[in-house]
Amino acid sequence: MSRIDVHQHFWSQGFVELLARRARPPLVRRDGDGWCVRLDGEPDAPIPPAAHHPVLRAEALAHDRVDVALLCMSSPLGVEALPAEEARPLLDAWHDGVRALDRRFRHWGAVALDGAVPADVDAVLDRGALGLSLPAGALSGPERLERAGPLLEALERRDAPLLIHPGPGLEDRRAGAAPALGLQPWWPALAEYPAQLQAAWLAFAAVGRRAHPRLRVAFAALAGCAPLHTERISARGGPVRGVGDPLIFYDTSSYGPRALDAMIRVTGVDVLVHGSDRPVAAAPADHGLGRAATAALHRVNPARLVSGVTARPERRLEAVA
Amino acid sequence: MIPHDAGRDLTAVELEDYVGRLAARPELWAGRVSHDPAARVFEELLRDEHLAVWLICWMEDHDTGFHDHDLSQGAVAVVQGAVHEDRLRFDGSRRRHTLRRGQTFSFAAADIHRVLHAGEGPAVTLHAYSPPLWRMGAYEVRHDGTLARHSLSYAEELRPLEAA
Repeated sequence: MSRIDVHQHFWSQGFVELLARRARPPLVRRDGDGWCVRLDGEPDAPIPPAAHHPVLRAEALAHDRVDVALLCMSSPLGVEALPAEEARPLLDAWHDGVRALDRRFRHWGAVALDGAVPADVDAVLDRGALGLSLPAGALSGPERLERAGPLLEALERRDAPLLIHPGPGLEDRRAGAAPALGLQPWWPALAEYPAQLQAAWLAFAAVGRRAHPRLRVAFAALAGCAPLHTERISARGGPVRGVGDPLIFYDTSSYGPRALDAMIRVTGVDVLVHGSDRPVAAAPADHGLGRAATAALHRVNPARLVSGVTARPERRLEAVA
Repeated sequence: MIPHDAGRDLTAVELEDYVGRLAARPELWAGRVSHDPAARVFEELLRDEHLAVWLICWMEDHDTGFHDHDLSQGAVAVVQGAVHEDRLRFDGSRRRHTLRRGQTFSFAAADIHRVLHAGEGPAVTLHAYSPPLWRMGAYEVRHDGTLARHSLSYAEELRPLEAA
């Protein structure tokens, strides 16, 4: 059984060149040997030259002891939320780039939210995507979730999973906004992403699951630790059943043994999947939870997320070691 | 699966009652029974905020080793074959109970015990933990007779920890 990393990013040269030609954010500019990313309302973020080098990234798989890495769009860029005529060439270039990598890299498809239809989902799946990624902002409330409903139905019909990644939806664009004074580069990842993910998790648990009973959904970054709020969700009459949903998965990106242990206490181990967020974050070789938990996070649970072979958590601990 | 509507963690008495009622409903779990000579087979039957229920299938020589359940109390029903439950005494001796089909037992979170396959033929047990099992302690008796506790995630298989 393959060791799978469900969450990595890769920008091909072609994708970066299109971003470099843009006059308005999202855009990149040369910064020494590497690049600098400019987004509306956020401080500039440097991208080291090695981050998206195809050979170095392939070597990193061996270093991380990963057999298959699932690449997804860097949704915080806001490409999916751009007007369709701006988003589509960028998304085409991104897909071309990830398809050109060797077979150890698979990808989550991405679509332009502006005017998106189910055929867009079919198109990315037909061209090799194993599922779809959507920015959390496209799903972060009942109304937004309902608007995305036809895309989720298309995934469900194809038995393909959804990855929910931090990033803006159509209503979240803040064109021309300057970053607040003193904002550090870590601010969005710690103050905004968890909140977006929590809102998307609450919306999906409250109304999404009923509309899409068989959809396998993975949230990046432990869904902003949304399930850890279980007692508060219960106390305020929220959708506590989301905590025990066996088809909602949580990737581990940038979290370690303490947060993962707290999640396991609430959700059980069967819904946690290893996601490194490379090259944004370094991948831990081991989450420090022990041999059986490692097998569950790296092999058994991601296989269930991707293929859906087992709809119900099922474990033969020795067999997967 | 048999629901519970306590809205809180269950007591040991309630857990023993639960596994007893579940044992009487084989249509809810018999399809999940499978045995593997190499190791116990675990199947999670239910997990919610207050209760986790597992089916465990045992064959000859399968043994959990001495362990505790950290903050969770639990109960077991034997639905096929037999298992021994051993308790560790401070003088190094063991207190053994043998449980056969139709029998149940419970344990408090503070209890340290070991469960192992007994008799001939495969065994099947139903286990209920409240709150759901999360961390466990596995005990190792070292060569010099001292006792060591290893903290494990519940995902980690409990097996006898041999002195190195």
